[in-house]
Amino acid sequence: MKQARAGYVFILPFLLIFFGVLVLPLGYAAYLSLYKEQLVGGVTFVGLDNYVEALSDPKLHAGVLRVAQFFLLQVPLMLVMSLFFALALDSGRLRMPKVFRLGIFVPYAVPSVIAALMWGYFYGRDFGPIGQAFSRLGATAPDLLGGDLILGSLANIVTWEFTGYNMIILFAALRAIPAELYEAAAVDGAGAWRIAWSIKIPAIRSAILLCVIFSVIGSFQLFNEPNLVQRLAPSSIDNAFTPNLYAYSLAFIGQELNYAAAVSFLLGVVIVAVSYLVLALTNRKPSS
Amino acid sequence: MSKYGIALFTVGLLALAGCADSGSAVPEQPAAAVTQAEIDKAMTTPTTLTYWTWVPGIEDEIALFQKKYPAIEVNVVNAGQGLAHYQKLRTALKAGSGFPDVAQVEFQSVSTFSITKDLLDLRPYGAEEAKAKFVDSAVSQVTGGQGQIWAYPQDSGPLEMLYRKDIFDKYGITVPTTWAEFATAAEKLHAAAPDVSMTNLASGQGVAYMGLLWQAGAAPHQVTGDDSIDINFTDDTSKKVADYWTALNKTGAISTDPDFTDAWYQGLARGKYATWLTGSWAPAFLQSNAASSSGKWRVAKLPQWNAGEKYNGGWGGSTIAVMAKSTNPIAAAKLAEFLGSDPDVALMYTEKQQFFPATKATLANAEWKSATPEFYGGQKVNEIGIEASDEMRPFSWSPFQDQVYSYWQDSVGKALADKSDLWPAVQTWEKETAEYAADQGFKVQ
Amino acid sequence: MSSTANQRQGRPSTVLTLAMLAFLIYFLLPLFWLVVASTKSTDDLFTTFGLWFGDSVDIVGNIRRTFTFNDGVYGRWLLNTLMYAVVSAGGAALLAALGGYGFAKYRFRGNGPLFGIVLGSIMVPTTALAIPTYLLFSKIGLVDTPWAIILPSLVSPFGLYLMRVYAADAVPDSILEAARIDGAGEARIFFRVVFRMLAPGFVTVLLFTLVATWNNYFLPLIMLNNPKYFPVTIGLTQWQALSANGGGGSTGDILPLVLTGSLLSIIPLIGAFLLLQRYWQSGLAAGGVKQ
Repeated sequence: MKQARAGYVFILPFLLIFFGVLVLPLGYAAYLSLYKEQLVGGVTFVGLDNYVEALSDPKLHAGVLRVAQFFLLQVPLMLVMSLFFALALDSGRLRMPKVFRLGIFVPYAVPSVIAALMWGYFYGRDFGPIGQAFSRLGATAPDLLGGDLILGSLANIVTWEFTGYNMIILFAALRAIPAELYEAAAVDGAGAWRIAWSIKIPAIRSAILLCVIFSVIGSFQLFNEPNLVQRLAPSSIDNAFTPNLYAYSLAFIGQELNYAAAVSFLLGVVIVAVSYLVLALTNRKPSS
Repeated sequence: MSKYGIALFTVGLLALAGCADSGSAVPEQPAAAVTQAEIDKAMTTPTTLTYWTWVPGIEDEIALFQKKYPAIEVNVVNAGQGLAHYQKLRTALKAGSGFPDVAQVEFQSVSTFSITKDLLDLRPYGAEEAKAKFVDSAVSQVTGGQGQIWAYPQDSGPLEMLYRKDIFDKYGITVPTTWAEFATAAEKLHAAAPDVSMTNLASGQGVAYMGLLWQAGAAPHQVTGDDSIDINFTDDTSKKVADYWTALNKTGAISTDPDFTDAWYQGLARGKYATWLTGSWAPAFLQSNAASSSGKWRVAKLPQWNAGEKYNGGWGGSTIAVMAKSTNPIAAAKLAEFLGSDPDVALMYTEKQQFFPATKATLANAEWKSATPEFYGGQKVNEIGIEASDEMRPFSWSPFQDQVYSYWQDSVGKALADKSDLWPAVQTWEKETAEYAADQGFKVQ
Repeated sequence: MSSTANQRQGRPSTVLTLAMLAFLIYFLLPLFWLVVASTKSTDDLFTTFGLWFGDSVDIVGNIRRTFTFNDGVYGRWLLNTLMYAVVSAGGAALLAALGGYGFAKYRFRGNGPLFGIVLGSIMVPTTALAIPTYLLFSKIGLVDTPWAIILPSLVSPFGLYLMRVYAADAVPDSILEAARIDGAGEARIFFRVVFRMLAPGFVTVLLFTLVATWNNYFLPLIMLNNPKYFPVTIGLTQWQALSANGGGGSTGDILPLVLTGSLLSIIPLIGAFLLLQRYWQSGLAAGGVKQ
């Protein structure tokens, strides 16, 4: 039992701060979510009313559907790119691999505040380079900040920011595969693509899964990019564009703190559910 | 979670539940006016006041205050601008600690903070006498339903029309004085130069649209009591405004680009917009951003709905308010009064910060009045500003103005961007705002 | 660590390199815009083509203005960011190393569920919960102090996960047994023997927390009021706000400073990654492969 005590001592510092900065605020928010505070009339206990209201809130439904759509659109694209880059780096067939590795990774180090500023320029219809290229060709530029394309434009920013991050995780995993595993295959005459497909990718399955789970969380909690781009596209990104943005505007613009807390918890439930769904789907595959 | 964890957690929650309400007690405001003796005592007792403002270079004005009241130390904090500033102020007030004694609050946000009883009624501190120093339209915006004075005006923003003289000259457009002339000029310009829009009515700028409603004489929101509010976005005046801009927008004669973005700045500098309907802080603003268009701009009054009328609205302008929970209400009230009404400070605002004044004395200042900036081709821009200021109608704001703009953006703003009919969007805007107000416990009329 | 393949197969392929070059341009073009924009005056920024230099190329002047504007507050923000990032990242990595090792190598009641709760906590979005956090912090006087930024950054669930996997893999039980037989206490074993083995994982967590704290935006936005405590992201956002709103005192003249300041703020991070890349690669490898 002496060992068990030592184990508690090791995890204690982490847990203490974890409790103070995460569990306690979450608990407080959960407590708040059971109340309703009005500008006129003060605070009343409403039980689960906020949750009931949120469950049938069309704005929240639309937001969840939108981030689900975002997830399905953006994540596969980003992860395929990350995987491709990681394999290319790992293959040893690339000249100047260090330049590529760093160059693709650098956007991750750029704060999203700045990323939104930079892409905002590129998306500008009148004076951005894309718009100018179109007008030089005598064509009308697509409105990258318009309602039809905004999800894609946001997906592009997120892809730009996080492809390198995922690439690095996958690349590190690839480096850890024992060479013997595929040297034999190479001797047998298997090409680089074949080795990648049937040896390397299965070997880093769990790393890929890790990236997918992170992406589930990132997509469903999408906030920074729409929040920052909203200024440039106020009519395409409304205040309930993503559930997290909705919770934010409820709390900070509408002073509906209690309802915002309920929305946040419901979103947490959705994310847990989707994560488990993803895990269940991917875990079933190899056995079938 | 371990047993201890749950126990700790419960203790934490109970502690919270206990202290959550402690911040909401508001000190009773003194019914009677404070005496001169009390004021003298407060102003000579060493005190430190915290003042939240985003006015750049305010230290110079503060220095004037400290010269007069050496005992009072003023700690200036720039906590953010606009929404960020209000969010922090709101959260600090809710928490009951870390809030300033004095804060900058825009005219349109005064009600937002007075409804939650966070502002000090300045009447007992000499505001009844001091208010005569300010222009009436400014005073109307800081006056509460029971005559409370919630803040001192700092700067004002009567609407003006900034226009590109070179573009007007090139296409033979005379400066419109009525909205009908404005529309005719817009169509003419659109036919001659499809790439240039007569003006840009930004799809993200509810404040500008509100200013146009204000000029037209609409009264969208009126707080009629402690818990009752009048919401009316759909009267005939509002319909007139909505239909007018719908028509211009549908033909493409105006643009609706979001403002204060990179693309919009480029549009201003490169002559995409022939006019900018904006507050009178804008002449100074434009000068610092679009140096290459120097000499091409001119200032005019806003077009009128009926020829010969003189009505105006506003956009922007701030006040200086005292927090009700301040522990130094007298010193704080005097700081706010000084920063709002002292003649030297008011004049300094026009020189250092290039504010548009809200005090009668500064508006009458001969030197300021006759300034002829080269950027505007030597035009006496402030003389036009003075007329624009005199013609401002009284106006009152809702106690949840940010939410009103938020609904505007998702309805009317979106319709502007889509070039669709504004009227149904205005109705949605009214419906959502009224529902919100009712949900917040107001009796809505 | 298991043996990795240092000798990878294949000759350099020009086709692959060219294809990757196209992608590289995509990833670097926005940064090129930032570099170009940092050389421009306000007027050039709005009147010349964004992806090429304007009439005046004055990056030195812009840097000087960035560092001198508002009494040189930018330098202070940069130092604040450095301080927050280094303290938070160092602390987070240490806590994660201790905790990860504890979870990986000790059997105690609640080990699995506790770990699950920590990982599960990242599923709830904290944006709208910033106000409850603020109210709590305000009760104990942490609001508007550096601790309001540092304390929350000390908890890295991903770091804990990584260190747990890493410790399980990199610290052989036999060494722990041997040390215990020699009579060494558990703390001594950790700091004298184990910590060195965890170094690559430690550096990995350090770096990722460093980036997270460096780019931390929302938390400081709420928690800090006084500009003297601002990290650079919030400071730059505040400058940008001057050009993003109407009203008295607003100006677009500050945009070149925002852009130059942004560019300068990225450079230290890139430096840290280059300097420490040997470590974080092996640290990440373990976290990615095993579960």
